[in-house]
Amino acid sequence: MVASSAPVEQYNYDIVRKFTIMALVWGVLGMLAGVYIASELAFPFLNFDIAQITFGRLRPVHTTLVIFGFGGSALFATSYYVVQRTCQTRLFSDGAANFTFWGWNLSVGLAAISYMMGYTQAREYAEMVWPIDLLIAVTWVVYLVIYVMTLRRRSQPHIYVANWFFIAFILATALLHIFNNMAVPVHMFSLSSYSLHAGVQDAMTQWWYGHNAVGFFLTAAFLGMMYYFIPKQVGRPVYSYRLSIIHFWALIFLYMWVGGHHLHWTALPDWTSTLAAGFSILLLMPSWGGMINGIMTLSGAWDKLRTDPIIRFMVVSLSFYGMSTFEGPLMSLKSVNALSHYTDWTIGHVHSGALGWVAMISFGSFYHLIPRLWETKMYSEKLIFTHFWLATIGIVLYISALWVAGIGQGLLLRAFDEYGNLAYTFIETVSFLHQPYVIRAIGGGLFLLGTILMGYNTLMTIRKAKKERTEIEAKIAAKLANA
Amino acid sequence: MSSEKTKPTVQTTGHAWDGDIQEFNNPLPTWWLWTFYATVVFAIIYWVLFPAWPVGKDYTKGVMNEITYTTSEGKTKTTHWNTRSLLLKEMQLARESQAKYLKDINASTFEQIAADEEKSAFAYSAAKVLFADNCAACHQAGGDGVIGYYPNLLDDAWLWGGSFSNIQETIVKGRMGAMPGFKSRLTEKQISDVSVYVLSLSGDVTDASAAKRGKAVFNNDGGCTACHGADAKGIITMGSANLTDKIWTIADVTGADTFDAKKAAVSDLIKNGKSREMPGWKDRLTAAEIKMLTFYVHQLAGGK
Repeated sequence: MVASSAPVEQYNYDIVRKFTIMALVWGVLGMLAGVYIASELAFPFLNFDIAQITFGRLRPVHTTLVIFGFGGSALFATSYYVVQRTCQTRLFSDGAANFTFWGWNLSVGLAAISYMMGYTQAREYAEMVWPIDLLIAVTWVVYLVIYVMTLRRRSQPHIYVANWFFIAFILATALLHIFNNMAVPVHMFSLSSYSLHAGVQDAMTQWWYGHNAVGFFLTAAFLGMMYYFIPKQVGRPVYSYRLSIIHFWALIFLYMWVGGHHLHWTALPDWTSTLAAGFSILLLMPSWGGMINGIMTLSGAWDKLRTDPIIRFMVVSLSFYGMSTFEGPLMSLKSVNALSHYTDWTIGHVHSGALGWVAMISFGSFYHLIPRLWETKMYSEKLIFTHFWLATIGIVLYISALWVAGIGQGLLLRAFDEYGNLAYTFIETVSFLHQPYVIRAIGGGLFLLGTILMGYNTLMTIRKAKKERTEIEAKIAAKLANA
Repeated sequence: MSSEKTKPTVQTTGHAWDGDIQEFNNPLPTWWLWTFYATVVFAIIYWVLFPAWPVGKDYTKGVMNEITYTTSEGKTKTTHWNTRSLLLKEMQLARESQAKYLKDINASTFEQIAADEEKSAFAYSAAKVLFADNCAACHQAGGDGVIGYYPNLLDDAWLWGGSFSNIQETIVKGRMGAMPGFKSRLTEKQISDVSVYVLSLSGDVTDASAAKRGKAVFNNDGGCTACHGADAKGIITMGSANLTDKIWTIADVTGADTFDAKKAAVSDLIKNGKSREMPGWKDRLTAAEIKMLTFYVHQLAGGK
C-alpha cells in the first residue's frame, strides 16, 4: 500500500470538494423552496398570483433540488470519496468525473427553471422534460463507468460493503430512469412528449420508478454512506459482515416489487397491489438490518455521544431510518392505506425518511468529510451542535404535525353521522389542516436554518483552510530565504 | 470500555479497508431473524387470502373471501375479494341503511318533513353535505352569498320566491336573472333621479324633488314597473328584486358609507344591467336529494 505522504496526488479530492459544495447550495435552495410551499399551504396568499411561484410549480422544484440536487450531489461526493479510500486508488479519469459534475448540476438547475416556467412531464420525481432526461442518462452512464473502472483498479483484494450499496444504487437508478422516461417527443423542437406506456401500465411504471427512487437512491445509496462514515467516525469495526450480506441482497431483491403499494384502491389490478403489499412487509427486517448494523457498530462508543456531534447526527439518522422503514410497510397494507392515502400522513412519512434519515446521515458524513477535504478543523464545533438541535427539533415538529394532519383528515373524510350521511364536508376537512400546516412550516423552517448554519460553517472552514495554507507557505518561504 | 469486552470473543473477517475499517463477523441477531420469519408467514397468509400472484394469463383469487353484493339495478353478484366489489357492497349496505329514510322523504310533503323530528333531522344531515359539496362554491359555505354575484340565502328576500315549491323549482330547473342596462335609453340625469327614488323606497330620503322626478321616470320613461311592479316590490315569476326592503343583492348599497356612494352603486347597475344564471341540478342530483336541499335552504332563512 502506498503511504499517504502525498494525499492530494493519490486521490482525486477536487471532485469530492466540488460536489460537497453543490450539495450544500442545492440543499439550502431546495429546503427554502420547501419551507415556502409549506407556508403557501398554511397561508395561500403567499402565491401572490404569480404563476411561477405557485405550489404546483414550486413543489417539483423543491423535490428535485433536495432529492437530486442535495441528495444526489451528496452521493456523488461521498461515493467518489469512499470508493477511492476503500480501494486505495485514484478515481478513474478526472475528465469523466468533471463531466458528471457539470452534467448533473446542469440537469438539476435546468429542471428547476423549466418547472417554474411550466414545463413538466407530470411524473412524480421524474418531472424533467425529455432533453434533460437525456442529459441525466448520459451523465449517469459515465458515473457507472467511472465507478466500475475505479473498482477494477482497486489495490484491495475485497470490495468493501459500502461499494456494494453504491454500485447497486447506480445500476438500479440507470434502469429506473431510462425505463420510466421512455417517451416520444411531440416534435423535435418541442419539450412535450408522449409516454411510451399507457393507462394503468403507465401508472405502474411510474410507481415502480417512484418507489425504487426511494429504495435505491434514498435508501441503498445512503446505507453505503453509513457503512463507511459510521465505522470511520466511531473507530470501531462494523458489527456484522454476515448481516450486511444478508440484508444487502434481501433489500436489493425485495425493493423492486413494492411500487404497486402506491396504487392501492385504484384501477391497478388487486393482485398487483396485494403482491406489492406482501413484499413491503417482507422488506421490514432487511431494512432494519442496516439500522442494526449501524447502531451496533456505534454501541460501545456511546460515551462519545456527549462530546461528538457527528455521532449524534448518525444515531438520530439511524433511528429515523428504523422508524420510517417500520411506518412504510404498515402504510402499505391496504386497510391502513385506505386511511392514509391522499392525506398528509404520506408527506410526513416521506419527510421522516428524507429529513430524518437521508439529510441527517449526509450532515454527519459531511462534518466528518469537510475537515479532511480541506485539511483543517471545522470552523465551529458549537455551530454543529446548534445545527444538530435545530434539525432534530425541526423534524419532530414536522412529522408530528403531519401525523395529526394526515390521520385527522383521513378520519374526517370517512366519518358518517348516525343517518349514514357524511359527517363532514370536504372544506371542513381542509380548514382542519391549517394549524398542523403552520407547525409543519415552522418545523421545516428550523431544519432549513440548521442547514444554513452548516453552509456558513463550511464557508468559514474553507476560508480558514486557505488562510492556514498561506501562513504555512509563508513560513516555508521565510525558512528557505533564511537558509 | 465495553469494546474491550466484545473484542476477544468475536473475530473480524480479517480485512481492513482505508487503514482501519474492519468488520466483525457477528451472527445474525436471533430476534431479527425470527421477526423476519414472522413477516414471511404474514406475507404468505396475506397472499393466500387475497388475489396476489399472476399465473399465466390469470391470477390467484385468494381463499375464503367471497363478496356477494346487489347493484343499484338490483342484480346480485358473487365474486372473489376485490376492491370494486368491496365498494359496491358498501354502497349496497349504505343504500339499504338509508332506504327507509329516503322512502319516507319521497312519500312526505315538505310540511310533513318539517313536522316530523326524525325526518327533518335526516333531511338536514344529508342536505348539509349536499349543500357544501354542490352549492357552497357560489353561495358560500354558510349560504351568505357574494354581493353582486350570488344571492344571499340567509336573508328574508327571495327573488324567485321562498315557498318550498318555489325553491324546489329553482334548484331543479335553474334560473336566469337579467336586469337590462339603461344607459342608451335614459339620460344621465334621469338615471341619477331614478337612483335617488329607488333608494328613497327603503327609507334613504335625501332630495325629495329628485326622488319625485325619479318616480316619474320609474313609472313612465324607464318602464321599470314592467319588471319591478307598480309597487316596486318585485315580481316572483320574473325574479325581479323587491326595491322597497333594505336588502340588496347586486348593488352594494349596504357596503357603501355615504349617500353618494350608495347612489353610485345603484346608478351603475341601472346603466350597465346585470345577468346572472343559476344552473339546474335535476341531472346531477336525485329527486330526493333536491327535496332535502330544498328543505335545508328553506330552513336557512326561515322560508315563506
